[in-house]
Amino acid sequence: MMRILISRIGQSLLVIIVVYTCTFWLLMAAPGNPFIGEKQPPPAIIHALKVRYGLNNPWHAYWAYPWRVITRGDMGPTISYANWTVLDVIRSSLPISVSLGALALLIALWLGVALGMLGAVTRGHWPDLTLTVGSLLGISLPSFVIGSILLLVFSTYWALLPSGGWGDLAQVILPAFTLAAGFLAYIARLTRSGMLDEFSADYVRTARAKGLPPNRVIVRHILPNASLPVLSFLGPAAAALLTGSFVVEKIFAIPGMGEDFVNACLDKDIPLVLGIVMVYTVMLVGFNLLVDIAYAYADPRIS
Amino acid sequence: MRRVLIIFSLLLMLIFVGGFWISGGDAARSRAIIFCQAGQIHTLDPAGMTWMQDIRAGLALWQGLTQYNPKTLNPMPGVAKSWAITDHGLTYTFHLRRHARWSNGAPVTTANFIFAWKRMLHPATGAGYVEMFFHISGAKAYFYALANPHAMPRPFSSVGIKASDRHTLIVHLNAPCPYFLDLMAFPPFFPLNEASMARFTVRSGHSFAYYNPRFTRPPNLVTNGAYRLTTWKFHQYLEFKPNPYYWDRKAVRCRELRIVSFSDSLAAFRAYQSGAVDVLSFVPPEFTAALLRQQRAGLRHDVHYRSVFGTYYYIINCTRTPLNNVLIRRALDLAINKRQIVDDVTRLHEKPLRVLVPPGTIPGYHSPHGLAMNVTEARKLMRQAGYPDGRGLRPLKFLTNDTDSMNTLVAQAIAQMWQRNLGVRIRIATEESKAFNQDSVHGNFDIARAGWYGDYMDPTTWLDLFRSGNPNNHSQFSNSQFDELMHQADIEPKPARRLALLEAAERLLVDRYMPAIPLFQYTDGLMYHSREIGGIGPNVRMITLLQYIHWQHRPRGGTHP
Repeated sequence: MMRILISRIGQSLLVIIVVYTCTFWLLMAAPGNPFIGEKQPPPAIIHALKVRYGLNNPWHAYWAYPWRVITRGDMGPTISYANWTVLDVIRSSLPISVSLGALALLIALWLGVALGMLGAVTRGHWPDLTLTVGSLLGISLPSFVIGSILLLVFSTYWALLPSGGWGDLAQVILPAFTLAAGFLAYIARLTRSGMLDEFSADYVRTARAKGLPPNRVIVRHILPNASLPVLSFLGPAAAALLTGSFVVEKIFAIPGMGEDFVNACLDKDIPLVLGIVMVYTVMLVGFNLLVDIAYAYADPRIS
Repeated sequence: MRRVLIIFSLLLMLIFVGGFWISGGDAARSRAIIFCQAGQIHTLDPAGMTWMQDIRAGLALWQGLTQYNPKTLNPMPGVAKSWAITDHGLTYTFHLRRHARWSNGAPVTTANFIFAWKRMLHPATGAGYVEMFFHISGAKAYFYALANPHAMPRPFSSVGIKASDRHTLIVHLNAPCPYFLDLMAFPPFFPLNEASMARFTVRSGHSFAYYNPRFTRPPNLVTNGAYRLTTWKFHQYLEFKPNPYYWDRKAVRCRELRIVSFSDSLAAFRAYQSGAVDVLSFVPPEFTAALLRQQRAGLRHDVHYRSVFGTYYYIINCTRTPLNNVLIRRALDLAINKRQIVDDVTRLHEKPLRVLVPPGTIPGYHSPHGLAMNVTEARKLMRQAGYPDGRGLRPLKFLTNDTDSMNTLVAQAIAQMWQRNLGVRIRIATEESKAFNQDSVHGNFDIARAGWYGDYMDPTTWLDLFRSGNPNNHSQFSNSQFDELMHQADIEPKPARRLALLEAAERLLVDRYMPAIPLFQYTDGLMYHSREIGGIGPNVRMITLLQYIHWQHRPRGGTHP
């Protein structure tokens, strides 16, 4: 157990170092100069700015960032938002992306399982058929299409919900459902097929034979077994949702990290790109590490 | 199993509530005017302001020696209540108002200006607009002495900026500069409150203190303009409230102003349509043509749109063969149907241009003629240059950027005109803007898209771009006759004669040497309902003076969801 833990942590650190190195050198190799806009300042000014951000010497810069993070817990100033540090930006946008993702996952999980159950119970009848078509649409339609449809219906035609922004609960509903749609559809399908597999199992027949009411059979006996695939899907789903979605954030004008990331790349804001990539990497690696540890804990065969 | 699900769900719930609680802003009260900009604020340090949105916020928070007249945009008294220009336009003596105050109540004095200007002139400040200071005598030498590690630094007293007392500032120029008062209203020349910045000093070195940029964030920021900054939530909004110490506070009628930005113009337009935003600082490019059509048909009245002080043009790399041959450059200009571009491609019916400085914008300046479309003449020039019907000419690299989808469409239409009329083949390279800027600077193109908005009301804001050695001279045009005319204009004290010299200089560009092909004058606008919002309007420089914005009657109630 201990050996696994140590080796997994070692692997995770290696992944983080590789990602940092690749990102850094790709940024250095990418064309464009972050300090040149449409109007070019005198070369002396560009030089002074490079010195301020430590970019006049790429090797020095390569070591400086991790060193700064480790020793001072500080990722330095951003280039394109000069009044804010990288940490300021992440601190303001990460909670937004994470909380939106958490709500989306909650919706996807509970609504997905409920709809999946409904589909399994009414197998072959119209609710099931509607759900099958709906989940197919949910999985195959990209989020900008779903988001636009929701906006058109709930914001433009019916004027029930605001079209975007952040800070008000009503503003969270449409983006959360847009973000959840694909995962919701997938969870519903997993639940439905899992339950159908269990319907014919021996223990279900036994439960029915001893006279349990059908609801109780489903909730107590079938669902726990049928939701196993859903559980294993939650790991990657959480990683994907909690890191934010650029598309959904852009459509609904949500000041989250996805948008900051894309803007930082376009502005060639090297410190900010590095900072956000590191946050993403640590989150993804962390989720995987937790899942691995959980598996090892649950299943003694993995060792 | 069920326990796992429930714990997991509770955890998610907790994350959602926690994250939302940390990040959620308080919703705006309905009396705040909500002003939406196209891009986020990049900096509120006046030394670093080069973006339109930063400058707009800067003009609302600070005030320079002069300020813009809201109607004409001519300079009028700001912190300086009067001034005298002596010595044939070389010496400016500014008399500061005794009632001018910072937002913390401290008086605005000459020391505040000298501190800010000295900081601007230090290379380590990284001020993008530092060259505007080079009109002041000794400023250029002072700056470059500091920039060169091997040079002896010069004393600040060598720069022509002196205070004779707390309220009198004397500035000496190298040469007469008719737009100097105009510059005094612009952010790089704003004063700074040194006392409030002192505690953000990071390292003080030789004549230079670096300030932690946190000094620009509330409640640290001290400003001397119409508003003070009360809240700044990154990527969400800025909140301005009237500066209680502003000398002209009676003119400020807006009690609360919120500045938001949406990176997606469609999202911004939806917010505006739903009433969540009161003013859009732009007209969404995707819909401009349709919105203007609706406006013409009387279906809407909230599009405020006009021609502005900006030119859309192409630059030609004058150092590369075959475009170093002026005959080909002329032929390229003559072969373009500019009217067709604005009517059928951009469909915004901008004014087609034959000159670089938009005609009629600068009083007393008479634009030269430029070239009118003439395909026969263009073909003849191509034959003279040795490329009849484009035979023997290599394909030309056309560089454009992707900031606006229109750029590529315009380039394709013009490439087609050149192909059809002259047999010139064009290879269009569309690049992301940072790469585009770099390739423009390095001359890595034959023809490139360019656009320029004038920074001050003078032809030199364009003509300087074609001087030998100017870092923004991407066409690498170098002509001694042109440089000589520009130099004569620099030292000419009589305004009318100076403008005549500049006209002659522009004539060289657009009638003879063609380092650039002017296409059309930019148009731009705002969106707001004038029965609700007053005190702003689109002007030729698209400088929105937020200090005059106000509700016309009473705020719309309950429109903010």
